[in-house]
Amino acid sequence: MAEDSGLTRRTVIGAGAAALASVAVADLFNVSTVFAKTGPTEGVGYFGRFGVTEKLIKDTLSHALSKGGDYADVFFQHRVTNNLALEDGAVNRAFANVGLGVGVRVVRGDQTGYGFTEDITEDGLRRAALTAAAIAEGPAKTGPTRFKVMDAKPNRYPIKVRWEEIRPQQKLTVLTGLNDKTFKADSRVKKVNLGFMDQGSVILVADSNGRIVEDAQPMTTMYLSIVAEQDGRRENNSVNRAARADMAYYTPDRLDMMVREVVDSTMILFDAVQPPAGEMPVVMAAGGSGILLHEAIGHGMEADFNRKNVSIYSDKIGKPVAKPFVSIIDEGTQEAARGALNVDDEGNVVGRTMLVEKGTLTSYLHDSISAKHYGVKPTGNGRRQGYEFAPMPRMRSTYMLPGPHKRDEIIASVKKGIYCERFTNGQVNIGAGDFTFYVKNGFMIEDGKLTKPIKDVNIIGNGPKVLELIDMVADDLKIDEGGWTCGKDGQGVPVSQGIPTVRVSSITVGGRAEKKG
Amino acid sequence: MAKTNDHDMMAIAQSCIAMAKSAGAGDASARAYRVRDVSLDYRDGKVEKISESTTRGVSLQLYVDGRYSNASTSDLRPDALKTFINDSVALAKAIQADPFRALPDPALYKGQSSNDLQLEDPKYSAVTADEGRKVAKEMHDAARGIKGNEAILSVTSSFSSNLVENWMVTSNGFSGSNRGTSFFVSAQVSAKDADGRRPEEFDYAGSRVWSGLADPSAVGVRAAQRTLSRLGAKKSETNAMTVLVDNRAGGRLIGMLGTALMGFSLQQKRSFLEGKLGQQVVSPIVSITDDPLVPKAFGSRKFDSEGIASKPRVIFEDGVLKAYYIDTYYGRKLKMDPTSGSTSNLTWKLGAKSQKELLADAKDALLITSFIGGNSNSGTGDFSVGVVGFRVRDGVIAEPVSEMNLSGNHLEFWKKLIAVGNDPFPYSSMRTPTLVFENVSVAGT
Repeated sequence: MAEDSGLTRRTVIGAGAAALASVAVADLFNVSTVFAKTGPTEGVGYFGRFGVTEKLIKDTLSHALSKGGDYADVFFQHRVTNNLALEDGAVNRAFANVGLGVGVRVVRGDQTGYGFTEDITEDGLRRAALTAAAIAEGPAKTGPTRFKVMDAKPNRYPIKVRWEEIRPQQKLTVLTGLNDKTFKADSRVKKVNLGFMDQGSVILVADSNGRIVEDAQPMTTMYLSIVAEQDGRRENNSVNRAARADMAYYTPDRLDMMVREVVDSTMILFDAVQPPAGEMPVVMAAGGSGILLHEAIGHGMEADFNRKNVSIYSDKIGKPVAKPFVSIIDEGTQEAARGALNVDDEGNVVGRTMLVEKGTLTSYLHDSISAKHYGVKPTGNGRRQGYEFAPMPRMRSTYMLPGPHKRDEIIASVKKGIYCERFTNGQVNIGAGDFTFYVKNGFMIEDGKLTKPIKDVNIIGNGPKVLELIDMVADDLKIDEGGWTCGKDGQGVPVSQGIPTVRVSSITVGGRAEKKG
Repeated sequence: MAKTNDHDMMAIAQSCIAMAKSAGAGDASARAYRVRDVSLDYRDGKVEKISESTTRGVSLQLYVDGRYSNASTSDLRPDALKTFINDSVALAKAIQADPFRALPDPALYKGQSSNDLQLEDPKYSAVTADEGRKVAKEMHDAARGIKGNEAILSVTSSFSSNLVENWMVTSNGFSGSNRGTSFFVSAQVSAKDADGRRPEEFDYAGSRVWSGLADPSAVGVRAAQRTLSRLGAKKSETNAMTVLVDNRAGGRLIGMLGTALMGFSLQQKRSFLEGKLGQQVVSPIVSITDDPLVPKAFGSRKFDSEGIASKPRVIFEDGVLKAYYIDTYYGRKLKMDPTSGSTSNLTWKLGAKSQKELLADAKDALLITSFIGGNSNSGTGDFSVGVVGFRVRDGVIAEPVSEMNLSGNHLEFWKKLIAVGNDPFPYSSMRTPTLVFENVSVAGT
């Protein structure tokens, strides 16, 4: 075990995500009061400590609009990330990262200019603003003269003990405990790798409409991966959990469940077979199978693709796309979920968006550019990986509402097909609509029963076709707690997904094919 | 802080070592970096997005009382940096010991190539965003102008350039810096299909130097042709058949082999190539050298991320596995000599035939032009990936296919490689030629 190095709370802070989380919670709960007392040359909220004043923001927005853009915003971010990793029995590596920077965006119609800097000075911000301003070519517009701070903001991140209060020793105890439990669970376990991350990110968005929004966004993830050996063969599998929560998230029950899940899902691989190749009915288990929705419809409903007319869903709003018992939602309101958000990265409050209501396509996922293009309100989907990037429409937590069927009834209905239970990744081609997801664990279904386990198989389908072919939906909706990260145009953002047990009547399973006659 | 010049950045790296040592680190390695990025997207007749930035920061490896931590920050204000390094050293002290962590043997720093790798365009700063706009418009107009253009829905063309600079210092004697530029142009075209699909395809080209960039209008034309060739794509039948992999797509496959060659995978029992050094593991026509010293190539370097002097190294020779990718840490754990922990450029022993000739030889086959999703298990070698491409009939490209899947196990799959083309893909460090496999498993209808 590690010795207690006698770190004082304060020294851990800088290295820990927590510095933010602490100040964030203390300051931001009272953010309106803080602002009420500030004048133009005093520090603004959390970023006051970095010399950010109302005057600096105002000047930056003026430079941003100096060539006549329609709209401009600045996005400040201070992001502290801590990782611990365990390999070969010891928590023997720590990674700490601090990102501090600001991005300036200028919008003119559908066009975007973007610049960012890590140099938070008048000069640094002016240069970033002028870079972004170049998207427009006209007479200067004036920026806001007064700012209003958003004070009615939801609080979806249940942080009781700030990450800075957590000494490294407390995290080490959890990690070494998890390692020991995993080895004890089964003598075939030969290697255990653990990764633990906590992150605090404070953002401030100020825009040319005079709006200022601040949010402190925590995140934690735990990754557990094992290698097992049996009769000279090896198999590996992994499990992870993620939440916008504090250390209390890692309850003994949750950690035990991770151990059980990773051990069971690995050991079963020794008996697993490759499923046959070709088209067949597929039953998607409740929870992580939400990846189907993310790929088959979620991306295609991001409004930027539709505004550009390149999504397979570009002309389908108001049209039936699925059976009447299929309703699909994207939202950010689930407390502590990885995909939860109080506000998006354009400062809009995040709510709930119906993508498909009773089988009919209802709404795209908008950022402010696409909302303006379509003449609708932004849906709070304007997200970015960090200050280095301009926002775009992204998912939050995407899931399907429960339906009229039962899980057992769905499995019993399949004569020959597969049941997909655990997944690693997926991808979609937005325009053609073709999408894939990779099944790590599942079962053959033969004569209405789960039979042989299957492993490592990719499934490929076409979004709108598969939506139409979802012909049974159970009542057992489950939101997956995995650490999913969605990638688009080189930006990764945390998301959640979920689904009840559903049946797709036919889809291509990429098993091993035999040569035909 | 204000603008930083080269001298400042090297000084920052050096000061990080000094601060780490005074905070209690026995050894340390520091890399300061600065990256300038410019990008421009042009869509359907106007600029869609411009973005410019210069980012910089430092990344440190700290070796403290037999413990290890890694820290990086973009907050270079001197006081903040000092606090950050103190905290990071304290964090290292708080975790468990790792006897295998150490800086590289300084002997490995020696022997850097004195060749000029020509990785930087001296005229980089003369290429303005306006030049980028012209090139993007040229690609766009060329794509819009092709025969059959009435099916085109949207064309987005892009230009990007960057300048990457690193300054690296270690407490046991390494000091070095490098600079490299790159320019990329690409065009993405989507078209409307009869069945409501909107297939899209792209083409791109890149170069270390502006003057070496391929003709932008050719890129636009190819992107549009590739898209139109996708119209009417359908699933083909499930079968075991001959498969050709286009040189642009092949990097994904060889990358899967690469994962199994890494020290981490070997030491953590996650490699199907463990214990196979000196054995024939792939087809005897495979000879690949990892060559970090190819002039103007995207993966070229004189030293790796640890400071180890880069040398060409044979990875496969006539199908026999000759070397793994071993960094200092896993080298110590595995009791193997470090090579380098990461790939540079792959140089393949090429075949004599073009893709067209290989298609003619194959007669009845599938040509894979891109992969979609899927995954590979580096421990067992099982893989399964989505594929997009064309049926090949009578030795020529026939109808487009989509929604299909390729599956296998690498240990069997790579033995089925029967030919490689003469056409290494120039815009990726994998430099893959067209690959031809026989009797592999493809799922469709």
